[in-house]
Amino acid sequence: MSLINKTKEFKIISNVITSKSNIIDIGCSDGSLIEYLKLNNNVVARGMEIDQSKIRTCLSKGISVVEGDADTDLFDYPDNLFDYSILTYTLQATKNPKVVLEQLVRIASKAIVSFPNFGHWSIATSLFFNREMPVNSTLDYSWYETPNLHFCTINDFINLCEGLSIKIEKKADLRKSVFKEFKGKSLYDSYFSESGLFLISKK
Amino acid sequence: MEENKIVELSSKERPLLLDCGKSLGPVKIAYTTYGNLNEQKSNAILICHALTGDQYVASQHPITKKEGWWSNVVGPNKSIDTNKFFVICPNIIGGCMGSTGPKEIDPLTQKEFGLNFPVITISDMVKAQKLLIDYLSIEKLFCVTGGSMGGMLVLEWLSKFPEYVHSAIPIATSVNHSAQNIALNELARQSIMADPNWQSGNYYETDNQPTKGLSVARMAAHISYLSKESLHQKFGRNLQDKNELDYSFKADFQIESYLRHQGISFVDRFDANSYLYITRAMDYFDITANSNGSLIEAFKDTKSKVLCISFTSDWLYPTSENKKIVKTLNALGIDVSFLEIETENGHDSFLLHEPEFFDALNGFISSTWREL
Repeated sequence: MSLINKTKEFKIISNVITSKSNIIDIGCSDGSLIEYLKLNNNVVARGMEIDQSKIRTCLSKGISVVEGDADTDLFDYPDNLFDYSILTYTLQATKNPKVVLEQLVRIASKAIVSFPNFGHWSIATSLFFNREMPVNSTLDYSWYETPNLHFCTINDFINLCEGLSIKIEKKADLRKSVFKEFKGKSLYDSYFSESGLFLISKK
Repeated sequence: MEENKIVELSSKERPLLLDCGKSLGPVKIAYTTYGNLNEQKSNAILICHALTGDQYVASQHPITKKEGWWSNVVGPNKSIDTNKFFVICPNIIGGCMGSTGPKEIDPLTQKEFGLNFPVITISDMVKAQKLLIDYLSIEKLFCVTGGSMGGMLVLEWLSKFPEYVHSAIPIATSVNHSAQNIALNELARQSIMADPNWQSGNYYETDNQPTKGLSVARMAAHISYLSKESLHQKFGRNLQDKNELDYSFKADFQIESYLRHQGISFVDRFDANSYLYITRAMDYFDITANSNGSLIEAFKDTKSKVLCISFTSDWLYPTSENKKIVKTLNALGIDVSFLEIETENGHDSFLLHEPEFFDALNGFISSTWREL
């Protein structure tokens, strides 16, 4: 799964990251985001990944990667080790998104998180009119085989951050491919944004 | 392929100081090298062997005539490519393939050391390896790697001589021995010492060698190198060359026959006293010994790029032990990677045909070399 399209997502993330910063990409897959950020932002980066063959791909690219799971292995890192922790399209597949979010802002000064927006109009439509679990480009699994455990809407995410004393600093405007200052919930986003992409930090 | 070399590295006047307070001098190191050292001396890879390994990492063993113990990994176009790298593999001190150890001649008495050999540690072994690296005028090793006890030596290099190590791959190892590890080693030692032919270690010039004791020690250890699953798959309850039980204590089962063979063939190439000394060194090993139990403190000067590898079915040095290293290096912000290879081959996996393991080694070493 990817957020609308990878190039766009990478570009938005790259634009918000300070150059030469120290980052960790959790669920880094074959390391393509890390490569992109190394090239464009000159970052010091490492990854965490659960899939063995993807880990070996990262190693062959010279990317440092630890076999691990967002749910259990973020505890191993000390506070504020990184400038940015990045979790793209994985939050909904974690067992305990609340704990994962807390860990993300604990191990890094800022965290970048993206997830599919379950409040998107097409999902609401699929449920309301077809009475079927939605399957589309961002939710490309049938209900019986999905790895996703915890779907949320953009508004749910905002509510959770408030409850956890996590500050939402910026929210990506996916149409314009830029991060913008977060100014609270937006009716437009909650209906029309296929994904949420946020820059958050500890309050 | 290169032949075995032996070099004398410390002298009576300038001996190697050991952790036990005694000293050794002269110290002989037997070692093999493969490939060529480049002009900048930047392509050296040090391979640290395990308990019963030796310097014949990728060349025929002079006694068993078998190919080197890591021929799978080391050689032209292999994961550790001898076309690119200068590979050094020394026999550890305390060993029995030419380096100073209990079966070598004590210059003081002109007789074999036997139990007069001082009790050595993993740290002493690494100090001796460092003498060899200095002798070869290498200021920075491109990579230090090894599995099992070899992995302990890798950790010791990272902790004691961090500025000499560009990258490191500790494999299937531990920062110290658990009670279970010590117990298994003690079983092996007691088996050797219970053999009347051991003669308190003074068997070298007699007609009786402690082969029974050493062989049982090897059998016990060999079980710990395999997993329950791999034993089951290989042998199950199959009988050896027969269809019915013998109602005797002969080797009825294939596993019995296999273990007996492992034990008997081992004594031809290994010294019983060496086995005592090396297992002792492993039991004494604790990377935090000089840092008040702190792993963070033990690795605080490490700057190397590190890849830790464990195997799912290894119960001797399980993933949880290897992860302690990863966790510590992570906490220190060190460039560390970690991979747990899925296999049923147990602790011995690092010596066997494991393509995903080879691939990970190759990927890490090649990319680290490209970035040098």
